[in-house]
Amino acid sequence: MNSTDSLIDQLAQDGAAPRPASLPRFVAPLALAMAICAIGIALVLEAPFIGMAINGPGPMLVKWGFSIALLLLSGFALWFIGRPGKATGATMATLAVPFILLAALLGADLAIGQRAFPGETWQRCLAAMAVMSPIAFGGAILAARWLAPTNLHRAGLVAGMFGGAAAMTAYSPHCPEHGMAYVAVFYCLPILTMAALGWLLGPRLLRW
Amino acid sequence: MGKQTDFSGDTLDQLMASARAGDSAAYRRFLSEAAQRIRAMLARKIGADSELEDVVQECLIAIHAKRHTLDPGRPVAPWMYAIANYKLIDHWRRRGRSPIEFDDAADMAVAADTLASTDIETLLEKLPRAQADAIRMTHIEGLSNREAGERIGVGVSAMKLRVHRGMAQLKKIAEKDRI
Repeated sequence: MNSTDSLIDQLAQDGAAPRPASLPRFVAPLALAMAICAIGIALVLEAPFIGMAINGPGPMLVKWGFSIALLLLSGFALWFIGRPGKATGATMATLAVPFILLAALLGADLAIGQRAFPGETWQRCLAAMAVMSPIAFGGAILAARWLAPTNLHRAGLVAGMFGGAAAMTAYSPHCPEHGMAYVAVFYCLPILTMAALGWLLGPRLLRW
Repeated sequence: MGKQTDFSGDTLDQLMASARAGDSAAYRRFLSEAAQRIRAMLARKIGADSELEDVVQECLIAIHAKRHTLDPGRPVAPWMYAIANYKLIDHWRRRGRSPIEFDDAADMAVAADTLASTDIETLLEKLPRAQADAIRMTHIEGLSNREAGERIGVGVSAMKLRVHRGMAQLKKIAEKDRI
């Protein structure tokens, strides 16, 4: 018996039944990362949703609509990319949808009129994004490592996008700023930066 | 049972379905069949490299460890070959960074310095066939690594590796015989 046959015998002893709780094992690190971001922001900052009292629900709905859509899409994409043998081009393309919609809103907003930019809290916003995005990115990396991504750049990029979207979802209730230009510069750019970092780090962090 | 038992007729699909139903013998047969197919696929890409079996084993371990990423009812083959391709690329990446360096000049000099008075065919018979053939083509027939690789359908790197390892092995054999 050669060494490959011996290996097959060893592996066969474990059986082929899928490991239990595959989906919860994937979702748990993502949920934990989200919870850390939300709790961390809530501990440091006060008065969530204060912007709604000033500007109405519109800006908050746009921010959460964008970030939660991106959060769900990137989580789904990560799950999909982690399953070898599936074409992932269309999945990746869907990640552009929230950005396209936001770009349309930005165009409309700019056409309507000027708004104060960058506002008064942009530094706090950037700090929150810079601190929380890597935490959520770490959760997404842990989740992806449970799966079997074969395109590590792509999986890293999606994990980075998840990290940025999670940070935005956690912080935006505390953000009194409004205007699509603000969202584009102080949310979208950090998210895309985190995605680019994920693309670079993916092959190192996700190798299996 | 419905859609989950709608198999494509591929042996791998049937064996995996039986294995997941608790048939451990079917899982062993699945792994054996997977090993055969992966070995054939890898041989087309890297030839009968001495590391081929190592890569096959890495693929089997990965398939086993990541079997939860195969959705029930989904064809096994695309999933399995995707993993095998990933492991092959990973193997190439690691080998690219390995301390092995091809030194064609040194390899060419060995026959003159060390093996001049030796029956080369007798020595070559002591090597794995792939390495012996590689040395025959490049050092006896005078083909380049590229020409030799094209003749038997392997890449230049794989041919270089075979020649390098074969020559290193020949050195050891010749030195041992002299002692």
